[in-house]
Amino acid sequence: MSTLSALARLRALREGRAQRLATVRHCHLSDRPMVLIPLRLAGEAAAPLAAMAGTDPDHPRLLVVPQPRDRDLRFAFTAELAEVVLPYVEGLQKATETVERRGAEPYERCVDAPQLLVPNPAGVTFVQLLGRSTRFRRAEGPYAVHPSVPVLGRWLTFFGRRAQYPGSVLLAAATDLLSLHWATGQSALEDANLASLLGWIDPPPGMSGASAAREAEDPLVWPPAGPATDPGFDAEVLAPAIRAYQEAPGERAAAAVAAAVRSQLEPTWRLMWRAVDLLRALPPGGGAAARWEGDRTAFTAFAAQLAEGAPPQPRRDGAVAAAARLARMERARAVYDAQRAFDDPLVMAGHRLAGEAFTGTVVAAEPDRTEGEGRGRKLRPLLVVRTGDPVRLAAGARLATPARRGQRADVVDVAGGEVTLKIVKGMGRGTTATPGAVPQVGEVVCYAALTDEYQPPAALPAPEETPWTHGGPPPEYVPAEDDAEEDWS
Amino acid sequence: MLEISGTGGNHWYAPGVSETLDALEARISALRGEIRRAVRARDGALARELRAELRGAERAWDRAVAGPEAADPAAGTTERAGEPASLLPVREQVHQALTLIGAPAAARMIVAVHAALHAGSLGGGRLASLRRDEERSFRGAPYARPYYLCAALTDRLSASRGLFAVSTWPLERRVVGPLSPRVDFLTTAVRVAEHVLRLAEAGEPAAPGAERLLARLARNVPGATGGPGRPGVPAAPDPRTVVKAAHAELRVHAAADAAARADIAGRARARLGDAERLFGGLPLGLAEASC
Amino acid sequence: MDRLDRLRGPEPPRPHDARAIAALAANPGCARRAVLDAAGVDKDAVATHLGFPAPFGRSPFAITRGDAFEALVKEGGGAELLRLLRELLGLPLPLAGYTDLADVGGNPSAHLRHSHTRRLIDRAARDAGEAATLYDHPLLRLEIAGYHSYLEPDVVAFQLGGRFHIVEIKSFAVVDGQAEPDKVAAAARQAAVYVLALSTLLAELGHDPSRVSHEIVLVCPENFANRPAATLVDVRRELAVLRRQLARMTRVGAIVEPLPDTLTFDLGRDDGGVPRRPVAELRSAVREVGARYAPDCLNTCDLCFFCREEAAEAGATDLLGRQVRDELGGVATVAEALALADGSLAPDDDRAEIARLLRLADRLYAEVS
Repeated sequence: MSTLSALARLRALREGRAQRLATVRHCHLSDRPMVLIPLRLAGEAAAPLAAMAGTDPDHPRLLVVPQPRDRDLRFAFTAELAEVVLPYVEGLQKATETVERRGAEPYERCVDAPQLLVPNPAGVTFVQLLGRSTRFRRAEGPYAVHPSVPVLGRWLTFFGRRAQYPGSVLLAAATDLLSLHWATGQSALEDANLASLLGWIDPPPGMSGASAAREAEDPLVWPPAGPATDPGFDAEVLAPAIRAYQEAPGERAAAAVAAAVRSQLEPTWRLMWRAVDLLRALPPGGGAAARWEGDRTAFTAFAAQLAEGAPPQPRRDGAVAAAARLARMERARAVYDAQRAFDDPLVMAGHRLAGEAFTGTVVAAEPDRTEGEGRGRKLRPLLVVRTGDPVRLAAGARLATPARRGQRADVVDVAGGEVTLKIVKGMGRGTTATPGAVPQVGEVVCYAALTDEYQPPAALPAPEETPWTHGGPPPEYVPAEDDAEEDWS
Repeated sequence: MLEISGTGGNHWYAPGVSETLDALEARISALRGEIRRAVRARDGALARELRAELRGAERAWDRAVAGPEAADPAAGTTERAGEPASLLPVREQVHQALTLIGAPAAARMIVAVHAALHAGSLGGGRLASLRRDEERSFRGAPYARPYYLCAALTDRLSASRGLFAVSTWPLERRVVGPLSPRVDFLTTAVRVAEHVLRLAEAGEPAAPGAERLLARLARNVPGATGGPGRPGVPAAPDPRTVVKAAHAELRVHAAADAAARADIAGRARARLGDAERLFGGLPLGLAEASC
Repeated sequence: MDRLDRLRGPEPPRPHDARAIAALAANPGCARRAVLDAAGVDKDAVATHLGFPAPFGRSPFAITRGDAFEALVKEGGGAELLRLLRELLGLPLPLAGYTDLADVGGNPSAHLRHSHTRRLIDRAARDAGEAATLYDHPLLRLEIAGYHSYLEPDVVAFQLGGRFHIVEIKSFAVVDGQAEPDKVAAAARQAAVYVLALSTLLAELGHDPSRVSHEIVLVCPENFANRPAATLVDVRRELAVLRRQLARMTRVGAIVEPLPDTLTFDLGRDDGGVPRRPVAELRSAVREVGARYAPDCLNTCDLCFFCREEAAEAGATDLLGRQVRDELGGVATVAEALALADGSLAPDDDRAEIARLLRLADRLYAEVS
């Protein structure tokens, strides 16, 4: 939350309509995303009740567990979900491209990747839990399931873990993507309601966002977007339908449960595609494509692991794996923040308000200034920028600039609305600056203490050398009997 | 094993068949003995033949005892169609389960034991009014029935909430001191393990419900599931180990529990009439119990 | 206390359950909530009559599941619980006594049940040799602003080494050692209420109240199985917050003092129990006591929709959440913040800094969007 987004919320309240927080789209949006709306039986950790899924807005697939407490029916559901998700995921593995790398072997990368869109963060959590509860299942033995179930479990686990990675959109919550681009006149807590959030962003004609959002809170008008269902619906509609199925299982009773949950899912299904349309209408930012490349690489690598018969992801990361993952995520977070700021002046404005970036006019430049003598003589152009921004940078801070992505500059001095910079990278080799590399007097420039540069991973011991203080080396994964036999109730 | 394949509908109630029932029961028990001998003699063919005969006898017995409850649609809500439903009257089913348990038990345990015995389900809801009906029957015509399903008695000589007992049990078994719930639980574990053991010795496949119940009970008996490394793994525990482990803990509690029970039973004998001894006295005033 | 009775009207005070008491601590700054709760007003009924029914409800599936799990943990003389306590705390084998404190026969009053609990807990505290280990269904009592609320925990108190512990049974799952933090926090807050009630009871009986452990045993289903698992949770912090809030409520007199003598939240129910009080009148009555609305109230307070509407009418920045409020440096209304941003309002000294930031934000917003 920056002053800028706080102001945007205030304006949204005044205007009765959501305000833009971004001028470009900061997430890749697949041409063919898969929308997945899971519903869970209330009171259960991961007992699926139903899901609506598909890539075609006009033809959702409805999956229903007519008696969610019945283990066999639940696994039938996951097998059915696998029928929907796996062909989509596997179909995208076919077309690949060769990626050349400097100083390393070229590798194959899928040209596209799957994108699962769920309504809200709780939906992401549910996907993770569903993955956890299915990936250890086995196709033979005492609690055999369809062979596709553990495969689905591993994919869902992959999606679920990847969703924690900043900037990744292989699995994303619609409310998160929308909130990244719009500020509403309500609190972040209320923004987690998809219908209400969309009410602010795109109210029906003749209605203010505020009243559309209020209306959207009525579960009778807009059923919750899951995974939790409306308690009133549970008591009045769902419970009797499930009871009827229990007393006389059959097509008709199952159809009644299906009709009941369809009524809860369809409105959200429409909202999801409206969210997709709204996001698609935004011009894509440059970083989004780069991050999608990372997603495609991760997707390709996981597909290969799966094909090679790797065991299911462990229940918990070992200490080293967890530390490595944390470090990767921190770097990804920094890169993600920087890329969005460089792509979008509105995002950059937030950093400027915080004093970590500034925009101003070049009032003096020494493009051919050098430091050192003889062979050690280096080109170090100086720049003085006059700015009205509240700069809070210390001498020595390393800066980058959106207009010249490879360039790096160090702060020399900040005084009296003027910032003196020394360009240290990305201005040309030798002792003469490349033409255009150093801004000229009069040019409007923006510099920020943000970096999207690749940083080498932190030095961590190999997993088998985990110190005893961190639990020692993690045990090899050995499939345990009860992995496959958990009651899953 | 009284395993009954569900036929649904068309159950009939045949009063006055107790003689046939007795005869059938004698036959069933004789057949079981023969099967045990055949299994011990490794005569598979004979055992198989006898088992088929046993099934026939059991089916005949089932038909003879079919009760009207089986056709009660309101009670069927917790049963899934396709599951075999027992045709015994509810009170008989409860009696059977309690007899196996051998100690006062709550409805949940009775339902679980019943399911383990019969691979069928006994709606827990049906037990709700049972004790009241029994009490009414007893007060109307005391001791007219060979047994009554009655209450366990608390320290305060009142009927315990939700614990069922059998009237023919000695009073000491029907009262509940502080350690009694634990002792009764361990007793249940022993009895269920012995039941599974008996089936195994008879060469009968145990109902999956029985194994599951035993596993569930065993995981709460220290030392009953083998190594402590992986508690609660639903692999079938060895019934002999369960019996041994449960007895070991029972020995720890036996003296204290027996003393508490004797005290309560003594007070019940001194203060309660016949009906109250079975179905509980009026709650004691606080003053009286606060000594 | 008749002042509070007058505020409530002729209805009996609404008893607080542990969830409600725990929620008191959620927004300690709200005078409206403090007064209504202290007076035992049925906030749900008030909200409904005002036309803003509370958005809460519990699914029958969740209720069934919770009850079934609790029954599983307690069945067979607490067999599952004994296993867990033996594993977790090394409870010795002979300590296996189980007493159902609700089992007093017949259909006893809360007072009777509480007395029974008192007596047995007293006996246990006096003579550990005589005591059972598990006490199921204790009926505890806590004084909230002069009224006794009976607390019927789904909780077992047990003692080990002369110390009592509270066991809280919850049906949310712990998957691979992790549970939803919100749910764990809520369970800890609720359990803290029981810890407080039990230590109060011990103190009343002349025992050392610190004999109630501040570590509670949280029992939840593990992974996706129904198998219970236990964890120790330290509730010292929750206890401190709760104590503070309850102390505030006993000082509620200071808030009530300046209120008009005639003020009441009586719904004016007719003989059929239907509220007849004019809504406008009730609304002004409720508004006499200031609220401190925050979006978090939407999860915890029956009056949340009413207060949100009020905050919206007032154009309060509270509406946008604490983060925004913090960012705005305490500027209370939307209009004021926007006026500072577009420069139409000159800031006083206190607001000079936030005004400068807002003006800059406004300029940047106009410049780039």
